[in-house]
Amino acid sequence: MDTLDSTTKLNSSEIFDLMKQFITEVIGEEFVEEMEITMESSFTKDLEMDSIEIVSFSEKIKTHFGEQIDFTGWLSNMDLDELINLNLGTIVNYIEECQ
Amino acid sequence: MPVINVEKRAVHVQELNKGAAETVLLVHGMFSNLSVYYFNIAPILAKHFHVVMYDLKSHGMSEKIADGYDLNSMTDDLSALLDQLELSSVHLAGYSFGGLISLKMAARFPDKVKKLAVIEAPDPNDDKTRDIIDEYSREFLEYYVQHFADTTKSKMGKRQMEKNHRMYEYLFHETSIKSDMIRERDFFSAAEIGHISQETLLLYGASSNCLEAGKTLKKKIKRVELMEVDGDHNVPIQQPVSIGNLMETFFKN
Repeated sequence: MDTLDSTTKLNSSEIFDLMKQFITEVIGEEFVEEMEITMESSFTKDLEMDSIEIVSFSEKIKTHFGEQIDFTGWLSNMDLDELINLNLGTIVNYIEECQ
Repeated sequence: MPVINVEKRAVHVQELNKGAAETVLLVHGMFSNLSVYYFNIAPILAKHFHVVMYDLKSHGMSEKIADGYDLNSMTDDLSALLDQLELSSVHLAGYSFGGLISLKMAARFPDKVKKLAVIEAPDPNDDKTRDIIDEYSREFLEYYVQHFADTTKSKMGKRQMEKNHRMYEYLFHETSIKSDMIRERDFFSAAEIGHISQETLLLYGASSNCLEAGKTLKKKIKRVELMEVDGDHNVPIQQPVSIGNLMETFFKN
């Protein structure tokens, strides 16, 4: 299986695809099939991810990108409203900037 | 995913700042999971401490187990987890039911617990806690979520409602959690509470219906301080930074 070198820079569409893959692994394919995942999809409202699922999602980012991206630290600086309104596009931008 | 085997059962564990000299272990409450700490409280503590969080049995991503929800079994689980992680003693903090587990841990395994922080532990003799279990139904869950649940759950959609419903159904109808909790009703009047010798911090919401339980504990524990934080029973979700900072100061000094 091909593994991505952590030094390889991904463009936003590649990051989006990777995030979509992580979301599918966390919430299950049967749910993902029923919804359209876009850059505008919000984590809590559209994707209906609860906090333990966001923990799993964060772990996947940590495992994939390593020290390069402090995703949990970034999330922990957000207040509740920001977290509730967090969408996929914001995450993709954040990861793109960190690389 | 960090799921480890403890006594042949799968336990979901998360650790931060692994190299630190001292460890703070965080225990979540009933029907919750380690995410109550993961995003805010744990990172504050991880500035100084190795932080360990775990999902209780049948909660979060830990294995479903049909029995052993009494405080002896829950502290046996925690003791085995400490052994597995090769942690001889830790600072311990628990929220709600996790607070009861932490109190029991300090009483049963004093050598394994340095300082103790108890957040919003309810008095198990309070009927309100058991009423929730007795009156549970799908309609109850929907009503509860709409009116009382923490702000993170207030946006619950269909999939989350189903997921939570399955968890409540499992815990209430397929495990011994209900009968095990009823057997713990005299825990606050047990002599062992008075024998807790660790320095203890009690953190309660100023408008919580559990605050009386905090005041009861304050009278019984020897080296204890009770602090009220603005909020109700959901205070770790409402005021994570305050709760994190208070625990950080308490464990550091």
